[in-house]
Amino acid sequence: MTARSEQTTVSSGTLTYAAMLAPALILMSVFVFVPVVLVLYGSLFQFSLTDRQWDFAGFGNYARAFSDPIFWVALRNNLIIVIGSIVLQVGFGTILAAMLDRGITVGGTLMRTIIFAPMVISSVAVGLIWLIILDPNVGPMNVLVSAIGIAPPRLGWLGDPAFSIWVVLGVAAWQYTGFMMVLILAGLQAVPKELYQAAALDGATGLRAFRYITLPAIRNILIVAVLITTVGGFKVFDLIFVMTKGGPANATQVLGTYIYLQAFTLGNSGYANAISAVLLVIAVALGWLQLRTSRKA
Amino acid sequence: MDNRRLNATTLVLYGFVGLWSLVVLIPIVFMFMTSMKTRNSMFMRPLDLPESLNFQAFERAWGVGIGQFMVNSVLVTFLSVALIVVISGLAAYALTRMQGGWSKLTYLLIVAGFAIPMQAVLVPLFQIISGAGMLNSRLALVLPYAAYGIPFTVILFYAFFLDFPRELEEAARLDGCTRFQTFMRIILPLSGPAIASAAIFQSVFIWNEFILALLILTQPDLKTLPVGILELQGEFTADWPAVMAGLSLATLPLLLVFVLAQKYFVRSLAGLGK
Repeated sequence: MTARSEQTTVSSGTLTYAAMLAPALILMSVFVFVPVVLVLYGSLFQFSLTDRQWDFAGFGNYARAFSDPIFWVALRNNLIIVIGSIVLQVGFGTILAAMLDRGITVGGTLMRTIIFAPMVISSVAVGLIWLIILDPNVGPMNVLVSAIGIAPPRLGWLGDPAFSIWVVLGVAAWQYTGFMMVLILAGLQAVPKELYQAAALDGATGLRAFRYITLPAIRNILIVAVLITTVGGFKVFDLIFVMTKGGPANATQVLGTYIYLQAFTLGNSGYANAISAVLLVIAVALGWLQLRTSRKA
Repeated sequence: MDNRRLNATTLVLYGFVGLWSLVVLIPIVFMFMTSMKTRNSMFMRPLDLPESLNFQAFERAWGVGIGQFMVNSVLVTFLSVALIVVISGLAAYALTRMQGGWSKLTYLLIVAGFAIPMQAVLVPLFQIISGAGMLNSRLALVLPYAAYGIPFTVILFYAFFLDFPRELEEAARLDGCTRFQTFMRIILPLSGPAIASAAIFQSVFIWNEFILALLILTQPDLKTLPVGILELQGEFTADWPAVMAGLSLATLPLLLVFVLAQKYFVRSLAGLGK
């Protein structure tokens, strides 16, 4: 009797659990997993979104990408943003967080709030604000720079192909350094204060304490911060779309904007899928790394 | 001697953090300031304070439809976040209470979704949504946003439910609650902190999501704020005060909410580090 009722609860339980999982799995299948399969499948064809006709192209789209200089420019720009953002956002984020954690007592919350605030502004708005600040004709940046005796770039801050990607990098740092700071600050606050006291007895204070106590204690958080920044650097789209549209002369193209351009402006959807597949491989590899670090933590 | 060194260090610390705060603050202040200027004073003296409080630029910007964009953003964000919380809550609960290998496998599958960025599947996303005849509908944003918000929220809830005291659930089951009722009446109401954390986190991202909204919404009355404010640029080519007024209107609500509830924002977003 008890055994049988146990049996029925188990199977009815399984059914309930399956029903509870179903909405999540259905939504994710339709909008995440099926699209992934379709990207890989579609990358083997030549087609545009309005075509009924798909022409099989084998690995032609991939061959095309690897011999397309703009694809390499886009990939290089992603790498510039990734490495630059790690240096600027994680680097300065760590410094700011350490200062707020150890040295700053008065006004700490206020400054933390200000530095974090751009995180809640949409990148589109951030891009538009900076577009006006950097405007070559009447933007205040030119006025400011001229006032301290430096000549502003002749083609404009965003008009010079050699220069523009670095300006975008700077704006991204303006927006996201506060996020990294807060992330790292949360890790710092978990470091027991007794550690610092013990170290101070041994003569380790200031920078030495930072080097030998703070850094090792937040090692895992730093790894996560670097991974988040790396993923973000490969996903960057909004800022560039708004500020430069990938220009001038494709100099600020990144994978995201190049996929968009090929698929929705030029009508090369198969080719766009091949570039997307490259982005997917990178993203999945980084995701796997992230999973491994969080497991260890 | 020691005292003086301490003061110098303090000065450097405050100087650095203070300077960074200023660099962050000035563009935001500049935005609000410019929106109260007239077009003339903007071009003649871009860095000066506005001569007087002048709200005409706000009227011009409002004419583009900022109000409607805001309503759309609120609707889309609210619906998506509600859907994410309920669906992820159900899934995470089932995963923590199920026995056997399937639950682990399913958990890994959902977590794997966390690695897939929307940017990398734009073409098929567009094909699926347009194939279903859902272009220019709010649902075409809400459902994908929910799908991409689920993995992180499941991870968050999973950790929370694992620590949930089983005694409460057992008591509810003894009182005749089904598993689903137990979840709705006992678990959800007691999961406030986890829900708040997930909701804030997802709200910030969905409120600001741009690329999918740009693809799906071409009808002006459906546009969300990030897509809508892009129109300011075309509408007011040289009218910076109007562009800045529009941006001020678009960014102010979330900035205000953030300043008022910043403790919760910080806690929620810092949770990504765990």
